[in-house]
Amino acid sequence: MSTTTADDFHGHAHDHHDADHKPGFFARWFMSTNHKDIGTLYLIFAIVAGVIGGTISGLMRYELREPGIQFLQLWAQYSDGPGATLDQAYHLWNVLITAHGLIMVFFMVMPAIIGGFGNWFVPIMIGAPDMAFPRMNNISFWLLIPAFLLLLGSTFVPGGAGNGAGTGWTVYAPLSTSGSAGPAVDMAILSLHIAGASSILGAVNFITTIFNMRAPGMTLHKMPLFVWSVLVTAFLLLLSLPVLAAAITMLLTDRNFGTVFYDAAGGGDPVLYQHLFWFFGHPEVYIMILPGFGIISQIVSTFSRKPVFGYLGMAYAMVAIGVVGFIVWAHHMFTTGMTVNVKMYFTAATMVIAVPTGVKIFSWIATMWGGSMSFKTPMVWALGFIFMFTVGGVTGVVLANGGIDDNLHDTYYVVAHFHYVLSLGAVFSLFAGFYYWFPKMTGKMYSEFLGQLHFWVFFIGVNILFFPMHFLGMSGMQRRVPDYTDALAYWNGIATHGYEIMAVGVLIWFVNIIYSFAAGKQAGDNPWGEGATTLEWTLTSPPPYHQFETLPVVD
Amino acid sequence: MAGAKNHDYHILPPSFWPLMGSMSALVMAIGAVSWMHPDAMPAHGGTIFFLGVLGVLATMFFWWGDVIKEAHAGDHTPVVQLHLRYGMILFIASEVMFFVGWFWAFFDFSLFPTALPPIEGLFPSKGIEVMNAFELPLLNTLILLCSGTTVTWAHHSLIHGDRQGLKNGLWLTIILGAIFSAVQAYEYAHAPFPFGETPYSSAFYMATGFHGFHVLVGTIFLIVCLVRAYRGDFTPRQHFGFEAAAWYWHFVDVVWLFLFVAIYVWGGWGAPVHGG
Amino acid sequence: MNRRINAFMMAMALGLSALAPSAAVAQAEAANAAEQAAPAEPAAAANATAAPAWEYSKPVKNVGQPQEGEYSFQEQFTPTGHYAAWMHDYVLLPVITVISLFVLALLLWVVVRYRRAANPVASRTSHNTFIEIIWTAVPVLILIGIAIPSIDLLAKQFKPAPKDALTVKVTGYQWYWGYEYPDNGIGEYVSNMLPAEKALERGEPRLLAADNRLVLPVGVPIKLIITGADVIHSFSVPAFWVKEDAVPGRLNEKTFTIEKPGVYYGACSELCGARHGFMPIAIEAMEPAKFAQWVKSQGGTMPGDKPAEAAAPAPAAEGAQPAAATNAAEPAAPANATAS
Repeated sequence: MSTTTADDFHGHAHDHHDADHKPGFFARWFMSTNHKDIGTLYLIFAIVAGVIGGTISGLMRYELREPGIQFLQLWAQYSDGPGATLDQAYHLWNVLITAHGLIMVFFMVMPAIIGGFGNWFVPIMIGAPDMAFPRMNNISFWLLIPAFLLLLGSTFVPGGAGNGAGTGWTVYAPLSTSGSAGPAVDMAILSLHIAGASSILGAVNFITTIFNMRAPGMTLHKMPLFVWSVLVTAFLLLLSLPVLAAAITMLLTDRNFGTVFYDAAGGGDPVLYQHLFWFFGHPEVYIMILPGFGIISQIVSTFSRKPVFGYLGMAYAMVAIGVVGFIVWAHHMFTTGMTVNVKMYFTAATMVIAVPTGVKIFSWIATMWGGSMSFKTPMVWALGFIFMFTVGGVTGVVLANGGIDDNLHDTYYVVAHFHYVLSLGAVFSLFAGFYYWFPKMTGKMYSEFLGQLHFWVFFIGVNILFFPMHFLGMSGMQRRVPDYTDALAYWNGIATHGYEIMAVGVLIWFVNIIYSFAAGKQAGDNPWGEGATTLEWTLTSPPPYHQFETLPVVD
Repeated sequence: MAGAKNHDYHILPPSFWPLMGSMSALVMAIGAVSWMHPDAMPAHGGTIFFLGVLGVLATMFFWWGDVIKEAHAGDHTPVVQLHLRYGMILFIASEVMFFVGWFWAFFDFSLFPTALPPIEGLFPSKGIEVMNAFELPLLNTLILLCSGTTVTWAHHSLIHGDRQGLKNGLWLTIILGAIFSAVQAYEYAHAPFPFGETPYSSAFYMATGFHGFHVLVGTIFLIVCLVRAYRGDFTPRQHFGFEAAAWYWHFVDVVWLFLFVAIYVWGGWGAPVHGG
Repeated sequence: MNRRINAFMMAMALGLSALAPSAAVAQAEAANAAEQAAPAEPAAAANATAAPAWEYSKPVKNVGQPQEGEYSFQEQFTPTGHYAAWMHDYVLLPVITVISLFVLALLLWVVVRYRRAANPVASRTSHNTFIEIIWTAVPVLILIGIAIPSIDLLAKQFKPAPKDALTVKVTGYQWYWGYEYPDNGIGEYVSNMLPAEKALERGEPRLLAADNRLVLPVGVPIKLIITGADVIHSFSVPAFWVKEDAVPGRLNEKTFTIEKPGVYYGACSELCGARHGFMPIAIEAMEPAKFAQWVKSQGGTMPGDKPAEAAAPAPAAEGAQPAAATNAAEPAAPANATAS
């Protein structure tokens, strides 16, 4: 989007840093203060977490393939010991859904999209040598390790009817307080505290970096849209996560120290938790998707060989989504017994979000309009994203209607909706970004054939997996159940086959990664040609250990 | 110009403290859970917890020790100082949102008390005698407001090169902070209602308790500044460590004003007053 | 205030306090404790379970339950359900389908028309104020078009129950439902899931069949007072377009009128612990005359039966009840200034 010239920035030159002098192994990977290395750590972490979270969803789809309990009791023997009861097996189910949700949200999507791509490319795209607080950047990553270990560890300690936290990712009280004795839920709560601290520190870092470290000439209105998206996301994190921290601290004190925030018998209010949770939780869904919007904007522009259409509209649409995202939270709570006026307000406010979202969809299409498009793997994922996100978005408009939600709330329709915007939205943008930046990060080209194959297999798989869930929800199948009445077998069976296809797609991705490292061609500085105008493409692939020792000047 | 840094940003060498801090957090969390569930978790939870706390404190000590060293080494160029300002303001913004959570709970209970037993529309709950807002809490309000002025005195002295004034102002602020904490401790010890059990006392103790914790943190921050003032660390032109402590102290002050007005004065309005 | 309402509020409070300490004990014990503490009036509950003496009707294949391979909502049997289903099927579904296909068509068009081979030189257009206004304004208009029936639907769903509505108190427990008819003097009886073999034996769907059904009259406005005893549950009947959370410490209200006799199934729709998937809702809807018989068979009375005694004060107190008994957080729960 802008051209750069090397220009000597007149500051005092410190002598003690060599552009490509890398520390030893331990210092480099465990004590890192380098945004690209930390970004790599985040990406590796997210892939590991994603494999675990994805395997859990595989277990669930396998159990749901047919009516009846097939495998749960068998699996429960691993978590609850031989002779696990049926209740322990059912509890294991709740542990699985909880772990799947928390892992995918906090340990896969967020680390990958903000920690991984954000860390790697925000400093480079604004022409900065690193993040504003390189050391704090590292603790943002390393705090995820204890958080993840606590969550995984919680599955081996008592949490009510069986081992593990079986509260759902929303951790609703009083199921998570009086309804779950034992240390598992406390471990999960502390896991969220630590993951939240990690994200708040990361948000502080990104905001400071973006405001203070833009290269000369890089005004806010010249920033690449990915940087804009991370900026908005960071504000959402900064302002919403502390409220979650307060909410789950109340859970902790209710559970262990005798407060009655959510305890109806003591006069507390269980719905208070839901308000606090969703005041965080709704911005959270934009936290997961906004950086994806940014990635898609970069890719669409690159492969259309055109600047982004309606740049300012795109940037401020994200700001609008972020702002409005803070005042719609109770649409997650339509069935809690709110008054008609409150329900009308949240219905109307929620639908407003469709407007800036529409602006984004149409602007992406307008960016391609008149372009000279090539269909490399990242672009194919981006095209898939735009359509699938539209499908997930319009079912969101259906659910926004409080009166309609009375039937669909907490059914598989909701599961279908949020997987369309996350598994087919956020995850598509992650794969798009991965293929887009893989050559830059590693210096190697991936296999175009395997990349395209990965897309098509995954695309077909997830649609077969999630589209029937709309039908299941309309039929009345409720969420978070390990068994269903026999009439629901048809679509459930099909969904499980979809999972199998999707899993093959992920395997192709891994083969592609191995192939690329082993036999990938050298990528060169800019494998995408004239459409790729952001600063990362002016650097070598991979970039020097410390880029922009002399700041670029943007005109 | 390969190898030469032609910008004012701070490129840091690798550091062990982040890893140490994270692992200490893990030890702390495992210790806390074990402590709360001695039946289902490893023994000595309390000990493990305090080892974790020790690790976190050590991390802070070494980490911020490095920051001070770097400041003396001249790494804190104007732009890096600006980073630190942004960082502190954003951190305080997130702290504000943390307190929003506690106020939310308080206003949920006070504005919408349930009609069902045991609340029956009463807030504070039946049987609760509240503290008289215009005795110790008012005194504490004045103490904190006063400490806000003394910290500003210290700041002005620092800017004008009056090192003795800086130390005096800091000493007074720290003493006022300590008095505040002591009064708060006395108030808790003699409170007419127990911790938890009712929505009122849950919200009261957790909100004021977290505020009290922040007062302690702020006091420690100011003590560090005082030590640094004696070491001669601050100059009229570069003293961000002091400014961060002052900002934090003002933030703690403002939160208290909201607590005082919302919980002590308005929240107890019309309820039976202890000893009154 | 009506003594009976006091009674069930007290019972609820008792149930809650009985359950509070159960956090410490093993879950199985908690379930037992709940079973003992649950029924509002133990004697009445014992009666209900001891003397069902009522032949439930058989469900009809295409009514009140999911269908194999279906891709639409269950057939609706309440006026608000018809309206909501109409709104989904004839407003929302067409709109979202058209939008999705429109986006797909645009994507396919640009992919074909502006591929590198067809358009080697890209334009540099990056602004067009007019089109940007259009694609902001048109969605706004579409959303207003959706909002009008949506708000209207909400107003209809929240229409306050008339004074002569039948009140049933529904309580969610881990993991079964309790039903109580305060106006008819029928104490709480509990409804547990039928084991699979028994359900199939009776020609009922597995996991949806319950031992004791919630019995309701057709053509009469019904007001459910829904609450939870231990954790949050959710009372959901897809064929009525009804879903309302059963929240401890709150009395949520839901009003609807069933149009046809039949058996309608639903299930708990809020994660409530291990057996969340195994606490079905089975509703037996019948003609009012038959309903009166059922009430008698349960030892209850219809409002008209004893004009002087129970019936006269009950409706009056009923009218006053929502303001007093619902959570003050929702001061006018069912009332609505903006309604239609």
